[in-house]
Amino acid sequence: MNDLCADIGYKSINHFGEQLCGDHVDIIEQGDNSTVVVLADGLGSGVKASILSTLTSKIISTMMAEGMPLEECVSAVAATLPVSSEHGVAYSTFTIIHLQNNQTAELIQYDNPHVILLRDGENYDYQKTEMNIGGKQIFKSSIPLRENDVFIAMSDGCPHAGIGIEYNFGWAIEDITSFMETIVPAGYTAKTLSTMLVDECYKLYGGEPKDDVTSAVVRIRKREPMNMLFGPPSNRDDCDRMMSLFFSKEGKHIICGGTTSTIAAKFLRKPLRPSLNFEGSDLPPTAEIEGVDLVTEGVITVARVLEYAKDYLKDNDRYEDWGMKRDGAAMISRFLFEEATDINFYVGRAINPAHQNPDLPITFSIKMSLAEELVDCLKQMGKRVKVSYF
Amino acid sequence: MKVTVCIGSSCHIKGSRQVVEQLQHLIAENGLKEKVDLSGTFCMGKCQQGVCVTVDEAFHSVSPETVEDFFNTQIKAKA
Repeated sequence: MNDLCADIGYKSINHFGEQLCGDHVDIIEQGDNSTVVVLADGLGSGVKASILSTLTSKIISTMMAEGMPLEECVSAVAATLPVSSEHGVAYSTFTIIHLQNNQTAELIQYDNPHVILLRDGENYDYQKTEMNIGGKQIFKSSIPLRENDVFIAMSDGCPHAGIGIEYNFGWAIEDITSFMETIVPAGYTAKTLSTMLVDECYKLYGGEPKDDVTSAVVRIRKREPMNMLFGPPSNRDDCDRMMSLFFSKEGKHIICGGTTSTIAAKFLRKPLRPSLNFEGSDLPPTAEIEGVDLVTEGVITVARVLEYAKDYLKDNDRYEDWGMKRDGAAMISRFLFEEATDINFYVGRAINPAHQNPDLPITFSIKMSLAEELVDCLKQMGKRVKVSYF
Repeated sequence: MKVTVCIGSSCHIKGSRQVVEQLQHLIAENGLKEKVDLSGTFCMGKCQQGVCVTVDEAFHSVSPETVEDFFNTQIKAKA
């Protein structure tokens, strides 16, 4: 065992004019520390391609995660895929990234552009062994993982970007590699990295992609604990217990809520200093307590974080909002989405009588559903979240 | 003179941001930056009367519409 973990994210855009994507990414966890990521690209585009790639990635990821040998997975796919009446073949290319015990990455590549590996921010040329399974030429590699390794898998829509528009022969893999080398050191999440790559392809296609474009990114990183406190406990007598549990935990500490931060400041015997700087945002300003990494207002700020989280899991259109700004919600988002891998979430169930006013959009039930929805989103991002209610 | 404006959830919804920004502007315009110490605080426990503002411990209920009046009578006149 080691203290490494994987941050995995992907993004696809569709062939211009198509409603379905012909590429498909499937991620299946195998126990606590192993994961199978499959990126499949079905022949053609639209419905047919979507069916081919979905079947391929689902079959391979499920069988691999159950420990079946690669040969059986591939022959199961070959035997299952419907044969296209138009092309006379059943065909879907695939890339498999199998992370084993957070120690080794096994790459299995069939006809997709080869996975780019950036080690310490630079292109790393890894060994590939060629094998033949059922007449298919498949490349296999086994790579011991290191912190900061970044694996970039893609469909051929990426290197084909810009053919005949920006470039004569598309966006060369070497150029994609140097593009990624420039953005990886900034510490973006896997989801943001794949979004930036796919967005760049979209631009090179002049906004009308001639193919489905997908990239899936795996970032190997150290585990990073994070603690978040939201709301005072329902029983006043529990204040000290809640605070001492919260502050005894390793990692950064975020406190959301006016009353909550007042209680925390009292517990730490440090002054609470609210700021009056709105940072050009429509959210309430943040505050400072010595010994706490971030102090913000509660419901309004957390509601915004939830909006960002939902968008992040879908199109990730707002990463420029939360990725750069200095308001409370943006800072919480960066801590939770980018830095944290393990989150301890302390939710207080106190009812603020002043908020139980039909004119205010911040009632108790809203606060509780905010907390639940946010936990759900964080889990979907691959974070390990522990929630304690007080 | 110490002027404190609540920036908690409830007062924020009732416009504490506008109140703070207008006060900052009025204080600067009247050359009172040296005399008035404007700061923020979280919930004062009187959310129904928000936006909550205190001037040297004395409580006032202010809204974005009444902030100029409030400044003239409670801050400018007394500073």
